[in-house]
Amino acid sequence: MAAAAAASGGVPGARVDWRLAAPLGLTYLAFFAAPFAILLGISFYADAEQTRLGLDSWTKFYGDAFYRKVIFDTLKLGVFAVLATTLLAYPLALVFRASGPRVQRLLIFIILMPLLTSVVIRTFAWIVILAREGVLNQTLMGLGLTATPLNLLQTELGLVIALTQIEMPLMLLPLLTIMNQMDQNLVDASRALGASKWRTFFRVILPLTLPGWIAGATLVFASATTAFISQSVIGGARLVYLPSLIWQQSMVVYNWPFAAVASLTLLFTVLAGIMALGWLGRFARTS
Amino acid sequence: MTQINRRDLLAGAGALGLASLLPMRASAAGSLTAAIYPGTWEEAYRGVVAPALKKSAGIDVAFDSLFAVDQVAKVRAARGVPPFDCFVLDPGPAAAAMAAGLFEPIDASKLANGPKVPAGLITSHGVTCNAQVVGIAYNPKKFATPPKGWADLFKSPYVERLGLTGFQTTFGTVSIIEMAKVFGGSATNVEPVFAELKKAVSKAAAVAAPAAMPGLFQQGQIDIMYTNTNTVATLKGRGVDIEFIKPETGAITFQTTLHIVKGADNVASAYKYIDAAISSEVQAELQKQPYNMVPINKDVKLVETLDIKSLDELATMVTHDWTVINPQRAAWIERFNKEITK
Repeated sequence: MAAAAAASGGVPGARVDWRLAAPLGLTYLAFFAAPFAILLGISFYADAEQTRLGLDSWTKFYGDAFYRKVIFDTLKLGVFAVLATTLLAYPLALVFRASGPRVQRLLIFIILMPLLTSVVIRTFAWIVILAREGVLNQTLMGLGLTATPLNLLQTELGLVIALTQIEMPLMLLPLLTIMNQMDQNLVDASRALGASKWRTFFRVILPLTLPGWIAGATLVFASATTAFISQSVIGGARLVYLPSLIWQQSMVVYNWPFAAVASLTLLFTVLAGIMALGWLGRFARTS
Repeated sequence: MTQINRRDLLAGAGALGLASLLPMRASAAGSLTAAIYPGTWEEAYRGVVAPALKKSAGIDVAFDSLFAVDQVAKVRAARGVPPFDCFVLDPGPAAAAMAAGLFEPIDASKLANGPKVPAGLITSHGVTCNAQVVGIAYNPKKFATPPKGWADLFKSPYVERLGLTGFQTTFGTVSIIEMAKVFGGSATNVEPVFAELKKAVSKAAAVAAPAAMPGLFQQGQIDIMYTNTNTVATLKGRGVDIEFIKPETGAITFQTTLHIVKGADNVASAYKYIDAAISSEVQAELQKQPYNMVPINKDVKLVETLDIKSLDELATMVTHDWTVINPQRAAWIERFNKEITK
């Protein structure tokens, strides 16, 4: 028990009272584990009416190239969102680190502000920006950069652009936290010993901030792959991802066994991504 | 002699505590819970029907905001413990709910306003509260000549500005069936329209979720779509350049119906609620901006803003048999997913 307390950062020697954990544990059992078990059970029905048991729903889902592509596209969307938020978050985090307290407060306010708005509102705002007669196209055409409006809505590019902004706070907050904890002496020593800014970034800053990036990447990946609203509104029906497929199969077609297979697939896809990031973190610490 | 030990007492108290977390439903006399579509419908029923019901029968109504498919899914999932007393449904989900035995039978004699509703609109298990009219909506400022019929949607200049939506909704399904008919198909043969859709999808301005369509039209992402008169009137009310046309093969009509949920707690209140919804006062109010609902009460004089001039027009419009459509719908949705996506 003491070891466990120590391992979890608790006070060594303190007794952990299991009764304190019981409310959360029981809630978890009642509202996650039990529905999960039901979902797993439903997935082994062979037909939409749930009259016969069988692996039909599983074989239909995994035996069809279209649905395998849906899994791949969902994963790809998560990866793209992580890459895009990473590319934009690091420079901003470095600026934040180099700024005075007043600018830092302003930056924090700007970063947190999107979180205070509903994701639905933010998604619809992106329609106004990306649409054919939207802000972006009007600006590009006004500047003479394009003659005809660009088609950005209903494309993977448009969806990644929107998700990047929507998920950005999730990447930035852990990154800023870890950047602020980083020892400036290490950066100064690297520069004093003749390393260029780039070399210092890749050899010192990046490895030291990796745990923060992994936390951010995990949140962004999980959030982007399951972003039902953004995927359906900005991606439209041309792009099919697992969340909209689950909604369609459960609510429109009433094929719950098939929807259960898709749901479990989404759950394990997200978990696999999170585990891969966790493994990357351990690998980074040991190498 | 029954002994209650501490463990049993705790277990019972825990069960009571958990039960208290379950959502409470209106089950007192003089109240009911009714499902309602989110958006315009919810505003209309909260703003017009609820006060009218309170005034006429002293009944309070709580609304549960759900799309038709979600209502059916919720009642099916509740397995005999209805989460609300009254459905509001379109023909597709209504046929599915009927097949699943989710309705109480309707006794028309309990509806004082029943005789004012045209024949055939009150059935054994449902009461029509609104007629929907589906056709083509376009932006008159973007096209020199308006489209004439379903086939035009697949031709230039319309196809490049077209917003496509699939079989997820009633209006989407019936529109695509009508398109299939002009290309030689039918309600059981949508092959011809899939061939056309496949050619059109790369040119179309958008393939979107049904709920996203009005927003895309408003933003100029699309300039032509198939939709109902409610949506057109609502967008017009917001200053959007939009006109409704009846395709040359005829506009489509279908009914939105109210049903009492099987095993409902408040059947008497549900009858009063349905009666208030079909009354001439309520129907006259619901046809005005911003609700724009085509009324079904014969005593109501139609307002100018509706895209139909009299209720007799409904009888000449195209209707569909959803018991034929429903069994094929899952396959159509899957096919649309596979063939009409990128």
